[in-house]
Amino acid sequence: MSLDLLPTVLDRLLPGDDELGWPSASDIELPRKALKLAAERDATGALETLLAKLPGDFATLEEAGQVAALEALEGADPDGFATLILYAYGAYYTDAGVRCVVEARTGYPARPPQPKGYALPPFDESLLATVRQRAPFWRKVEG
Amino acid sequence: MQGTQRTDVIVIGAGASGAAVAWRFAEAGVDVTVLERGGWTPPAASQSANWEWVLQTERHPDPAIRKAAADYPVTTDATPIRPALFCGVGGSTLRWGAHFPRFHPSDFRTRSLDGVGRDWPVGYDDLAPYYDLNDTIMGVSGLAGDPANPPRTARAMPPLPLCPATTRLAGAFDRLGWHWWPSDSAINSTAQPLGKRGACNHCGPCGLGCPTGARASTDLTYWPLALKKGVRLETGAQVAAIETDRDGRAIAVTYLDADMALQHLEADLIIVAANGMGTPRLLLASRSMAHPEGIGNARDQVGRHLMHHPTAIVTGLFDEPIGMPVGAFACALYSQEFYESDVADRDAVRGYQLQGLRGQGPLGTALGGYARRIPWGSRHHAAFEANFGHGASLTVTVEDLPDPDNRVSLDERTVDAASVPAAALSYRLGTNERRLLDHGIGRAREVMDEAGARDIVVTPLSRQAGFHFLGTCAMGEDPETSVTDRYGRVHGVPGLAIVDGSTFPSSGGVNPTPTLQANALRIADHLLGRIALSPTTEDETL
Repeated sequence: MSLDLLPTVLDRLLPGDDELGWPSASDIELPRKALKLAAERDATGALETLLAKLPGDFATLEEAGQVAALEALEGADPDGFATLILYAYGAYYTDAGVRCVVEARTGYPARPPQPKGYALPPFDESLLATVRQRAPFWRKVEG
Repeated sequence: MQGTQRTDVIVIGAGASGAAVAWRFAEAGVDVTVLERGGWTPPAASQSANWEWVLQTERHPDPAIRKAAADYPVTTDATPIRPALFCGVGGSTLRWGAHFPRFHPSDFRTRSLDGVGRDWPVGYDDLAPYYDLNDTIMGVSGLAGDPANPPRTARAMPPLPLCPATTRLAGAFDRLGWHWWPSDSAINSTAQPLGKRGACNHCGPCGLGCPTGARASTDLTYWPLALKKGVRLETGAQVAAIETDRDGRAIAVTYLDADMALQHLEADLIIVAANGMGTPRLLLASRSMAHPEGIGNARDQVGRHLMHHPTAIVTGLFDEPIGMPVGAFACALYSQEFYESDVADRDAVRGYQLQGLRGQGPLGTALGGYARRIPWGSRHHAAFEANFGHGASLTVTVEDLPDPDNRVSLDERTVDAASVPAAALSYRLGTNERRLLDHGIGRAREVMDEAGARDIVVTPLSRQAGFHFLGTCAMGEDPETSVTDRYGRVHGVPGLAIVDGSTFPSSGGVNPTPTLQANALRIADHLLGRIALSPTTEDETL
């Protein structure tokens, strides 16, 4: 069953980066999460069809060979591959642990946007000093 | 058929224009029933960890991706621009960015001034008082005094803040000597003291709906007022046809109610407000002995002259972080430096607006956002860090000239539950529009260069930018070339009027909602026989 390849495929797509602190797909059980999202959207079959196009020996290839096979698949079926990416990235970047890494690496809070929201300073009208020197330039018409 | 009922006025569609016109009629004491195929749509997921996934799926603007029960089928084989709209109480204002610009006076006179398109049978001055009235109901943050626009009344609330990314773009516009101004936004920058809507807390994902009620959608603005005035709102109502008598007068609507029972509702006046795609779809599907080509379509004008706002996106990526995805995504600033016609400058008539956007959230960025998808594989994580929080974008939104071959028609191969065929979109980008887009891309590149971008990513034509459907049942004086008169009354079909964006003879180069709402209020006052605006009581202005 081609979905058996999904864990390996996801680890090639999102291999993690120990130096930067990003987990790999398998570190966060991404296959299960991605399949859950896909099932909710009736997209499991589409993923299965896509992965069935991988070479029969994909699982036993070296990492470089697997990457090359995925690149070939992306070139041959870009729409199908985009579906795979949607569920892979969708599950990865909604994972609570990954959001904590996002916060640690970029400062964007891991918490949901509401109910706290974020603080921004009020609009500073002094920014308009230059443009306010312009005369009206909209086109005047009759009526 | 379950039975026949009667009301004074039926409004089909509870979105931006339908809500406005229903409130205006009810305020005058008219018995109004509104039929809406969607339901009430509360804010979704912004308090949940999966909020970005919800934006990508169940709240996606494209009905083909969203797959909501309320959506009707659309065939998109023959268009490069995919539809972006929402069905429900509030319509597409449930999913919008609430950028709230007005048309310019010249937008109503493109034929007279530039020899292209179609003049409106009314002008800016006719709409001006209704723009103001609509601003009061919707609630607008902004700042009067923009030199690119006619003077307007003081905005009720100060502008929304700029984020660091759009502040950087403002400085670049200044150094280039080009216009920019803070957007008029239908988003409360401050809480309304007498109302129930709060202030924006800059959470970011406006498309999920607004838990504070700061972002206006008509379920929060017009609808509470309309219901208080006694409007009867029926949700889950899928209209099958507008019916006429032997003389061709519109007299009733048949629809499937929420229980899938067929209903028949009679009225003195039927007003269609189903947007520039849904309205022609319904008219074309309402075939009868009196109207064999569809109601109002005796001259083959219904559905033609479809106008969008073709949009390019230019994204600058900067070495240093320039801000997180906080603040209203579409309501920072705009430039109308290139809005009015200048053929010598751009080898095209009419013009366009540049609009500043901040970057998207982590998932949105990874999937491409306004730039390009982050590559998978060993480079993914470093590339994500180099992009997320490092981008700012400018949209190039151009005026779309009316072309009779760009149209909404019916695709009989697919029908909805009420047996109404799918809307089929046929659209080809015109040469003038392409030239405007290319000119705008060039100017937006200059802004990004001036702002210090290390990399600039261009989307020459945004595929998912079918936000606006205009012109498909245009107003005009000549029944040979238009569908309605200046009061929205359908030529040759007494008892039937249209108030949504399909009535626009031209598209302008800015977002149309304030204009289509103002036009709906204007049409309502004419149909009510009012000479002047009635004063609005204080409790209804919030």
